[in-house]
Amino acid sequence: MAKLSLMFEDKLVKQVPVGSRPVGIGRSPDNDLPVDNLAVSNYHARVYFEADRLVVEDLDSLNGTFVNDLRVERATLHDGDSIWIGKHHIKVDASGDAPLQWDSGRKAAAPRINETMVLDTKARRDMLQQAAAMGERSQFAAGRLKMPTLVVLSGNTDQKEYVVTNKLTVIGKSKMATVRLKGWFKPQLAAQINQRDDGYYVGPGDKAPTVNGTPIAGPVRLNDGDLIEVCGVRMNFIFRD
Amino acid sequence: MQIVSGGVTSVGRVRTNNEDCFKILEKLNLFVLSDGMGGEAHGEIASALAVETVVMHCLKTENDPSMTVFGDMPAVWSEKTKRLSSAVHLANKSIYDSAQKHPEQHGMGATLTAAWIDGSKLSIAHVGDSRAYLLRGGSLQQLTSDHSLVAEQVRRGILTPAEAEKSEMQSVLLRALGAHEEIEVDAEEHTLFAGDILLLCSDGLTRMVTEPEIAGTLQAEPDPTKAAERLVELANDQGGADNVTVVVVRAGSEAKGWFSWLRRGGQKSSGVNGSAGGR
Repeated sequence: MAKLSLMFEDKLVKQVPVGSRPVGIGRSPDNDLPVDNLAVSNYHARVYFEADRLVVEDLDSLNGTFVNDLRVERATLHDGDSIWIGKHHIKVDASGDAPLQWDSGRKAAAPRINETMVLDTKARRDMLQQAAAMGERSQFAAGRLKMPTLVVLSGNTDQKEYVVTNKLTVIGKSKMATVRLKGWFKPQLAAQINQRDDGYYVGPGDKAPTVNGTPIAGPVRLNDGDLIEVCGVRMNFIFRD
Repeated sequence: MQIVSGGVTSVGRVRTNNEDCFKILEKLNLFVLSDGMGGEAHGEIASALAVETVVMHCLKTENDPSMTVFGDMPAVWSEKTKRLSSAVHLANKSIYDSAQKHPEQHGMGATLTAAWIDGSKLSIAHVGDSRAYLLRGGSLQQLTSDHSLVAEQVRRGILTPAEAEKSEMQSVLLRALGAHEEIEVDAEEHTLFAGDILLLCSDGLTRMVTEPEIAGTLQAEPDPTKAAERLVELANDQGGADNVTVVVVRAGSEAKGWFSWLRRGGQKSSGVNGSAGGR
């Protein structure tokens, strides 16, 4: 059975199992895991099983719920994850749960559907609806409704803001670049941003950009608010409404 | 832009028939790849029909640019992108019509990934789960989104990419040529830079070989045909569970002189580690 351990720094405050009923987390004392801190909303978040997955859902809290580093509205939890709420965190111990032992359980799983198939209209609608219902409130689905935007903080570019719409966005001096760098000795292709299924990745071109001050060797997934710097241009990557 | 290319297809180690199909049309710099599906030999029919229809339409429009454009096209697209996208709509129609006429072909379909290079402009049109990648800056940039159930689940935040790779639902497509009378085609334009390597491949490659391995192989082998052969070998050595098709296109520079030499030198040093993101 999955266990949640409420921690303050490295002290265990309370431990509860996750059963058939959702585990409530919040400042109000009637929560299963009461968190005594003004930064925490009365009913802040809850954790429950859904279709064999352990899920955390933020209850529109003021200061947000974070899984590891990511702010989430809803996310699937895995063994070893930490849910951060204010200065407290909740360690997820799902090691005893068969459905969550994804890797080891996989070996004995049903054979793959080997033949490629297209879902016919009805099956597709049903599966997508199911997927949509699960994904609607998830962190990334919400992110997708917002426009990924590069805001130029300093440096010489042709615009001050760019909406990242293409699969591949080029930053460089090239007249075909989306983000055009101006000035002498700027490379044609300084860096590029690749839209992938799970998010946006910035990668090197002829130069290696830095993300939040750290030089990158290969593509790095961008988070809301990341600071990209390349060839003297500083840009903020944000998801804008 | 100087273009050299090569392509290879293999039945793999498990299947008995090859339902993949590709065509390189050097004089147009047109590259088309398709992965067919359907019982008996119908997958082969579907992918061949898809590739042939796309190639024929592009050839015809070269001679007669006034030919009708099919589907909704943003006005900003280049002529080539519009034609390529139209060609994919037509390919869908041909497969669908053929299956309507021949009841035994019911359920056949195909993916299609096509690239057309015009100067430094690259047009991509795509339906299904065959992919186009650009190797640039030492890593693979994915130019297409798979129209598969698992990819959609990753986009919606339900699965992680790692979970998607292990899912047994990987073969379920949400979009493929031939399933419906009308289809939505993904198309996009990119600018090619000297040194870029374009890769088109069927899922027989991407399910067997990791992106860093693909990037490393493309960087290690300058000859496009040999690079394609190496990638197919890798897929087969690592299981070869499906048909594998790989098309490699290398964009070279026509620029000469000390400055382009300097730039090439710069690219080399940033592109040896063969890393790829996302996985």
